[in-house]
Amino acid sequence: MVGGFRDIIDDIGGGLLFLGRMLSTLFRAPPRSHVVFDQIWRVTTNSLSTTALAGFFVGAIMTVQFTLQVKEFGALGYLGGLATSGTIREVGPLLIAFMLSGKVGAFTSAELGTMRVTEQIDAICCLGANPFQEIILPRFIAIILSSFFLLAVGLFMSIAGGLLLGIVFSGITAEEYLRHIPTIVTAPSIAGGLFKCLSFALVLASVCTYKGFTAAGGAKGVGRAVVSTAVATMVGLVIADFITTLVSDAVLAIALQG
Amino acid sequence: MASALIEFKNVGLSFDGELLFRDVNFAIAKGEAFAIIGPSGQGKSVVVKMMAGLLEPTSGEILIDGENLVTLRGKERERLLRRMGMLFQKNALFDSLTVAENVAFPLREVQQASEAEVEEAVRFYLDSVGILHAKDLFPDEISGGMQKRLGIARALALKPEIVFYDDPTAGLDPITSRKIIQLIVDLRAEHGSTVVAITNDMNRARQLGGRIAMVVDGEVIVTGDHARTLAHSDPRVRQFVRGLLEGPLTAGSP
Repeated sequence: MVGGFRDIIDDIGGGLLFLGRMLSTLFRAPPRSHVVFDQIWRVTTNSLSTTALAGFFVGAIMTVQFTLQVKEFGALGYLGGLATSGTIREVGPLLIAFMLSGKVGAFTSAELGTMRVTEQIDAICCLGANPFQEIILPRFIAIILSSFFLLAVGLFMSIAGGLLLGIVFSGITAEEYLRHIPTIVTAPSIAGGLFKCLSFALVLASVCTYKGFTAAGGAKGVGRAVVSTAVATMVGLVIADFITTLVSDAVLAIALQG
Repeated sequence: MASALIEFKNVGLSFDGELLFRDVNFAIAKGEAFAIIGPSGQGKSVVVKMMAGLLEPTSGEILIDGENLVTLRGKERERLLRRMGMLFQKNALFDSLTVAENVAFPLREVQQASEAEVEEAVRFYLDSVGILHAKDLFPDEISGGMQKRLGIARALALKPEIVFYDDPTAGLDPITSRKIIQLIVDLRAEHGSTVVAITNDMNRARQLGGRIAMVVDGEVIVTGDHARTLAHSDPRVRQFVRGLLEGPLTAGSP
């Protein structure tokens, strides 16, 4: 129990030092743009289809769930606005983060872990290059930037999914579904969604690069790194969701008072 | 001895509270071929990794051309590391890059050479180690001997003054091993570099042609050239170089 707690504290300390090293490299020796774009392309194309598909069904689920609630009050006209607002504020960013953690997080952790245990990272150091500049930062930045693009795609698909179910399941027209989206989905909702998206992407990118970079002990070590990436990411995302919800609501309350 | 290019001064290293090396002192001269021998698990690779800046000692100084590698940081450290090249025991080739791209990596990313320069250098080094015909293949598509040659070509791409070879003949047949060591000797003569190579084979250590040091029981015992090593008074050295079962060393220890 005490040992496990100490391991967690060690991990958090190691992770913070790792982030510090990454930030200092970012300002001292930023990665080359073509390497970052290669990674953005890889992350985005790897996750695009699953994010789009999941986004479509999340929109559909939200519409079905809200239909049951708003029908009683005869407020089906608000269905599109409510479903889209719920998706952009909460479900969308969390969904993108889970998608990315399953695909990109595990892949990045395994890739970096394999590079570590096969001494490829040592080889980069021996060639006088900086592994943070060459392999860590490009992946870190790519995960964060791709998250926003994937969020946009996921949201677009969720509106499409919600719209389809709104017509088929709830029996409203496309015009009715879309009418209240601009009034309910306000700038603060969008800002809150983007803030969550950034926070989740930071958690994911930090965890998977750190766990992969510090993997040790051959194939077993890589396996351990991938599993602990999955666990730490999920726990980190839930905690980040709680904190960002509190912060977003506090900021929103202040904005409304103002 | 000529001026020291690599010097260990009272170097100590501990892992998890266990003392692996204590007060290690030795020097390697500029242009020397230095072979490191010793039983498995005694820390030969650890000594080389400390020289290459991949492991930090817990005490002492490692001087490279008079500069303490242990305390150097940032750009200064990277500048010093660029004077070194290393062939890893398991080659550590970039498996997502082709043979040519592996050699091009340091030229593009570190030296930031133009594409014409990169292409010329890649052809030159791959030709030097005899694998130019495999330039478009990936590392896992070539044989173990070719992977070693590729590792050597990549290690030499930045024209390092010091080249470390961590067991360059591990897992290779005797003929290929001899060819690889001959290649190392030839390239050293051509480039005038300082070579530090780990080997467990006394014939290969003799082929390298320089001094020999044995890593055992947390010490680095510099035994001299091949003849002096064979006649060395330390019973551990005598047992190891003669391959005797009886003696202070236990097979497979620690």
